Amino acid sequence: MTERTMPLVNIRNLVKRFAAVTAVDDVSLQVGEGEFLTFLGSSGSGKTTTLFIVAGFDDPSSGEVEIDGRSVLSVPPNERNIGMVFQRYTLFPNMTVAQNVGFPLLVRRRPKAEIDKAVKDMLELVQLGAYAKRRPSELSGGQQQRVALARALVYKPRILLMDEPLAALDKRLREDIQLEIRRIHRELGVTILYVTHDQEEALRMSDRIAVFSHGKIVQIGNGADLYERPADAFVAGFIGNSNFLQGTVVAKHADQVAVRLADGTTIHGNSPAALPADSRVKLMIRPERLILSATSNPVEQGCDQSIDVTLHDTTYLGDILQHDVVTAWRQDLTIRSTQRIAQPARGETLKLHFSSSDVMIFADERRASA
Amino acid sequence: MLLNLDRMGPGRYVLYAISILTALFLLLPVVFIALLSFGSSQWLQFPPPGWTLKWYQAILDDPRWLASIWTSLKVGCCVMVLSVLIGLPAAFALVRGRFPGRTALHAFFISPMIVPVIILAIALYAFVLKFGLNGTFIAFVAAHLIIALPFSVICIVNSLEAFDQSTEKAAIVCGATKMEAILRVTLPAIRLGIISAALFSFLASWDEVVLGIFMASPDLQTLPVKMWTTLRQDLSPVIASVSTLLIFLTIAVMLIAAFLRRRFAR
Repeated sequence: MTERTMPLVNIRNLVKRFAAVTAVDDVSLQVGEGEFLTFLGSSGSGKTTTLFIVAGFDDPSSGEVEIDGRSVLSVPPNERNIGMVFQRYTLFPNMTVAQNVGFPLLVRRRPKAEIDKAVKDMLELVQLGAYAKRRPSELSGGQQQRVALARALVYKPRILLMDEPLAALDKRLREDIQLEIRRIHRELGVTILYVTHDQEEALRMSDRIAVFSHGKIVQIGNGADLYERPADAFVAGFIGNSNFLQGTVVAKHADQVAVRLADGTTIHGNSPAALPADSRVKLMIRPERLILSATSNPVEQGCDQSIDVTLHDTTYLGDILQHDVVTAWRQDLTIRSTQRIAQPARGETLKLHFSSSDVMIFADERRASA
Repeated sequence: MLLNLDRMGPGRYVLYAISILTALFLLLPVVFIALLSFGSSQWLQFPPPGWTLKWYQAILDDPRWLASIWTSLKVGCCVMVLSVLIGLPAAFALVRGRFPGRTALHAFFISPMIVPVIILAIALYAFVLKFGLNGTFIAFVAAHLIIALPFSVICIVNSLEAFDQSTEKAAIVCGATKMEAILRVTLPAIRLGIISAALFSFLASWDEVVLGIFMASPDLQTLPVKMWTTLRQDLSPVIASVSTLLIFLTIAVMLIAAFLRRRFAR
């Protein structure tokens, strides 16, 4: 991400306290013009509250929200000129689809001819031109959210906020509309702040992802950053599938850390943070970076590490095979492979090979829930 | 369906019989009074020896009956309007407000339904007397408003609770002011509740008799009060025809309600 001289949205040290909880805890974030930025986190992580503060529905306890270099905190939500699509269906039930889409222009007192033209264009954009005269109750959930999208974009806002707009839809439909939102983002160049708890959705759609946990942004970056170089064990566990092993640091050379596992095996890996010797750590390896093999030499597989495991189960998943294995100290691991190797038998003792560059080592600390 | 008529066998005839008897039990007094109102006997003989419309003619010929119908309509309409005008903001406060004592206030708004009407009537009578308002139109409206308001609050609170406030927020983010959003989006969305509130408020006033007796003067009587006072003097078939008119007007209001509901439910 290249730093821009002037971000479109600049959030600085945002804090929102409710009676007993701090929902947003010192969040700072810059969004570039035309960017698709996703707030990813589980419920209660502060992502929606942050979005609602940007929309103007909540006031922050402290901190600043600037759009185009000017504070918007004193601007009421109806004057911020921001588009928004909500999680729930929010079409106006007493109006037709066309009236819904035209509503923002109607309250802006635009001439009727201009409204009609804009409504027509927007309904074409979301491919619902034929539904102009329908009532919201006659539309499916997916169609309703597309109309809501058209309504949020008809007044050409520079910023579009989306609060889990696809959460209520089924998976197939969700993927269709994800692609449609991507296309509209490209066509219009609108800046999108998108909230979701679905990491797959975040990876598929975003330029950058901000991972929220307990009111803080734990990491912000593009999909590859988060997947390949997670900042901590939480992000590693939240984005994609992952295997975790417990161990103790024995030695450290530059980024390389040597860790002793429960059975005394020493494993080498990389750590994003400094780790003191003898500290408890978590090792993370992605399931697709593990190679299950009967041969004992890792180098044959292009690897430099290995541990002994027992095969528990193999599941055929179409495009991949999933092997569930157990280590000598009864730790479950998952391997995903595309290789159609000779089917090993259940209960067989095998070697698990991997490369030290694929091992990520994090401090083993329970995230304080404050 | 838990109960399937086709699978009940002969048991279904028992069910039919119970249903018919229940319906008769509920309807018979109404049918009875309607039949008597067309009967020619002066002494409310049943079955009627002949059929006539003269008792209806008697109502039209008697300005006191017409005056009381007119009074009832005026009081009912005033109560209807005021009840919605007060119930609407009250419902917004009760549903959306975040203040201590909100549930207590909700209970307070419903309480006229629970307090025995006779107690309300005595209290109101003493109160109205103190301000010299007894026998006035204002006293009538105020008394019936107390009875009607809980209906109005319940109807509007229910529909407002069912309305997703995100929709109003969407209107605001679209550029509407809070007021515009409420007028153009929220109120149309809860109009069914508002219409129900208006109709129930009107009916609450229309068939109210206890408070009416306390509020009435010889010059100002609602229809049920006029019926009551007439009944105490003599039992004439005119009462039966007035009752029938009352019933038909109530049915008419309910039909309007059902019609509007079906139209707006879409």
